[in-house]
Formats: sequence, C-alpha cells, structure tokens
Amino acid sequence: MNSISVFAGKELLDLRRNKVMWVLTASLAIAVLISVVVASLDFRTQMAAYDLYVNQLKASGSTVIPAAPQLFPLQMLRGGFEYIEIIGALFAVVVGYGTIARERFRGTMHLILSRDIGRVSFAGGKLLGIGVFWAVIVGAIVAVAAVSVSVVGTASLTGGDAFRLLIAGSVSWVYLMFWSAVAAGLTALMRRPSSALILALGLWLFVVLIVPQIGDTMDPDNQVPGGLFKALAIQKSDEVAVLAHFSTFESARNALEVTSVSKLFERIAFAFVGIKDKYNQQGFAFIWYAMSRYTWSILAMTVSATVFSLVASTRTNLLRKAS
Amino acid sequence: MTSFAISTHGLTHRYGTKVALKPLNLDVATGEIFGLLGHNGAGKTTTVSLLTTLLRPTGGTATVAGHDIVADARGARSKIGYLPENVQFYDDLTLAENLRFFAKLSGIPKPDARIAEVLGFLDFEGHDHERVGAFSKGMRQRVGIAQAILHRPPVLFLDEPTSGLDPEGVRTLRQSVVRLNAEWGTTIFMNTHLLAEVTRTCTSIGIVRQGELVHHDSLAATLGEYPTEQALESAYFDTAGSAA
Repeated sequence: MNSISVFAGKELLDLRRNKVMWVLTASLAIAVLISVVVASLDFRTQMAAYDLYVNQLKASGSTVIPAAPQLFPLQMLRGGFEYIEIIGALFAVVVGYGTIARERFRGTMHLILSRDIGRVSFAGGKLLGIGVFWAVIVGAIVAVAAVSVSVVGTASLTGGDAFRLLIAGSVSWVYLMFWSAVAAGLTALMRRPSSALILALGLWLFVVLIVPQIGDTMDPDNQVPGGLFKALAIQKSDEVAVLAHFSTFESARNALEVTSVSKLFERIAFAFVGIKDKYNQQGFAFIWYAMSRYTWSILAMTVSATVFSLVASTRTNLLRKAS
Repeated sequence: MTSFAISTHGLTHRYGTKVALKPLNLDVATGEIFGLLGHNGAGKTTTVSLLTTLLRPTGGTATVAGHDIVADARGARSKIGYLPENVQFYDDLTLAENLRFFAKLSGIPKPDARIAEVLGFLDFEGHDHERVGAFSKGMRQRVGIAQAILHRPPVLFLDEPTSGLDPEGVRTLRQSVVRLNAEWGTTIFMNTHLLAEVTRTCTSIGIVRQGELVHHDSLAATLGEYPTEQALESAYFDTAGSAA
C-alpha cells in the first residue's frame, strides 16, 4: 500500500469520525432535499390545478382541452444546485482547511515527515481522500434529489434525465474539489492556519457571491423581477436584436462572470439539467457544444487548484511551517 | 575497521545569521548508544533534526546508515526511527489505529503482526483498543518508541525521551532503549540534558555547547577521567557552560 493511499484512508477515517462534518454535510443534503421537496410540491400543485381545470372543462361539455403546462422535473433541482454552489463551496473550504490544519495543530507533522514518503504523498493522499468523500456526498445528494423528484413530485425520470443528472453531479464534484484544494493549499502555504481560513473565506465571498452578483446586476434582463424582456412582452428574436447593440457591454459582463468558478459551475449545471430555458429539452450534443469551453475552464481551474495545493504542501514547505 | 551508523563532516546549520550548529565532525559507531548532552538551546535538537532530514544543513555533509542526508534523504529516512520531544499522536484514535497508520506509512506489509511484536517487545500489550488521548505521559513515550521501531530501523533518534516522565517511566524507557540496542542491535542517538541518563544508558558521550561539540568520548573513557559522580558533574558544567 503506497503512502498516498494510506493518507487517503486516514483522511476518510477522520472525516467519517468528524461530527461537525457530518452536521455540515447533512445540513447541505437537507437543504437540497427541502428545495427539491418545495419545488416538487409546487410541480404537483400545478399539475393538480391543470387536472382540475380539465375536469371542469369536460364536465361543462367542452371538447377543447388546453395543453398541459410545460413542466420539467429536472427544473425542480434549481434550488439544490444553488445550495451546492453557495453552501457546498463554503463546506468545501472548511473541509480543505481542516485536512491540513488538523495535522498542523496536532503536531504530528514531524512523525509523518521523518518517514520515507514521497514529496507530494501527504497532500496527494489528503486530496484523494477528500475526492472520495465528495464523490460519496454528491452521489448521495443526487440520489436523494432524484428520488425526491420522483416520489414527491410524482414525475418520472427518463434515462436521459439520469444521464444529465450524472453530468451535473460530476461537475458538482469538480467544483467542490476546487474549493477544497484551494483551502488546503492556502492552509499549507501560510504560517498561521487561521489566516489561511480567513483568506479562503474572503475568496469564497468574492468568487461565489460578489462577482456573480455584479454580473447579474449588469444583466439588462435582470433589471425587472421575472425578466425585463418578458415583462415588456418582447420576443426572443427582438431581444437578440436589441442586445446586439450592446455586444461590447455584454462581452464585458460575460468575461467578468466566467472568471468566477461558481458562475461556470452554475452555467454548466443549469444547462445540462435544463434549468436554463435555452437548453431545456435540447440534445446532449447541443448543450455540450455550448458548454464545452466552460467545462474545460472549470476543469482547468480545479486542476490548477490541485497543483497549487500539492506544490504548497511539499515536505520542505510543511516542515518550514511546523518548525 | 569500525563502521559508522552516523558520520558528519563539518555539518552546520544557521537560522538566518544565528549559528545553531557550528561545523560538527562526529562519528557514531554501529551498535552504539550515543548520548548528546547539553543545556537547552545548545544545539541538540538542531543536530537531530538535521540527521533525521527534518532540517536541511546550511553546510557540511552527513550520512546515516550509509545514506547521505541531503543527496539521498529518502534512503536515510527509510533507515531511521525518530521520537521527537513532546511527541504527539492522533488522540482520537486507539493505540492500534495509530500504530497501524504509521506502520502502513513505513510500508510494512503485515502491520498487525509487527505491531503485536513491537508491543510485546516493549511489554505494552493490552492497550490496543484504548484511545491514545487517554494515555499518561509515560505511556505516550512508549507509543512513541513503538512507532519509531515498527519498521526495525538500524538507527533510532530520541530527542529528550525522558523529559517530563516520572521515575517509573524513566526506568521503563531506559530499559527499552538498552534492550533495543542489545537485542535488535539498533544504534541509538539520544539527546538529553540529564547527565544521569547518559551514564546509565549510553556507551559514548558527546557534549554540545552553544552549537559546538566540545567533548566526545566513550563512556568508559569519560568515567575513567572523572570517576566520581561529582567530578563528572563538575566537568559537565565546566564543559557545557552554565545553563541558558
């Protein structure tokens, strides 16, 4: 058994026995579940209202039956993915910080680093353990969400829906790993772990809340609740024509938004799950074509964060901090 | 021809402009129990940190079990066991879980069998499923010895191993060190500021003062020169200087 897998196993044991972590992840899962349940109940209410209306029409002798409302089960997951985007990222910071800070506070570093282990075994193993942890958590949340949509929302999920959920779940894992790796790297790099936590939380605040908020505020369509163009009953083609006059502004707004890993996550997850109307019920190839650059970007960011964490946690650096 | 488990040539360390260890030339023969005496801040821990590759020397060279501590640091680490001063463990884990973790890190294929062997050697059986966080200082030091010898290293470094122990703990630890040397042939490098510790345990003595090795001889030769405890103590204080 190589030292990376030993550290990964130890990390999983620590996370499994950490009651605070259980409370945090359980609260995330519950928040996701509640959002899905609320959306599912809304879905059920709308369908019930439609059925009642149709029955009343039939009872009055009408033969003209209106089309059923366009309701899409996966759109119920909007709140769930928003929780992962905001609260999940926050928990990922705590997990990443904790994995390095625990060892530094315990004073076990010298015992570990006096052994014949590779240069990046320590951080590599820790990140591998965290990766398995997030895979289990995201898997559980996605499974709970899918069951909730089916049971509470009484909506049947197709194989295609399951595949889209799987992709959105995978992107969630990549996103959470980004935050854990950044926090772990900062905690290894800085002399005081508490300073690293403050810096990581500041980064979270800026990337998860401030940048997307600026982007949303700059979006002309967000100036009126429900959408400016919808409120003015402007057709999509006209909307595109109007926005063409503001292409530079729109490019600047887009460039700002895609600097945020959270916004990238949101765009990809919302597209594949069909929360964004533009991509709802579209083919996989269409969505992939539109999202590929964002997907590569979020992957590159997470790989960079992982490399940063590995470099920051080299034996030499950890020893410098431990002495 | 004598083989040396530890050999240093001009080994030096500076913290910025402060010289923590002046050029150290020291040979510790295989199978010896070497005691490095000195007051707090004399450079003992710096010496052990350099030899265990936890610090990188700013000058000179050294080999441990034939491995250069800079050019072949991993090779050196594979041959050493280390008990730091104020050793810390995973207090939420049991003794067996702690030792299993360190055994796996050392690449031991059947950790449980080795753990049982080591705990038996240290007369420390029956505590496997107790949390280390509940252990006394003396018990923790024995866990520290256990984790350090799990992979049967030819060279063992102990940094102030009896610090904070009660007399019973000191005696138990001393017996373990002597048995390790006698039965496993382990070369032991021990830091201490307690003169009595060295005279009862070691086969050779070094005294370090303000980062400089000022005395190095066998215990027999040293005791021949200073036959009474008072004479040895006076010599120690003369050589090591007044305490910091």
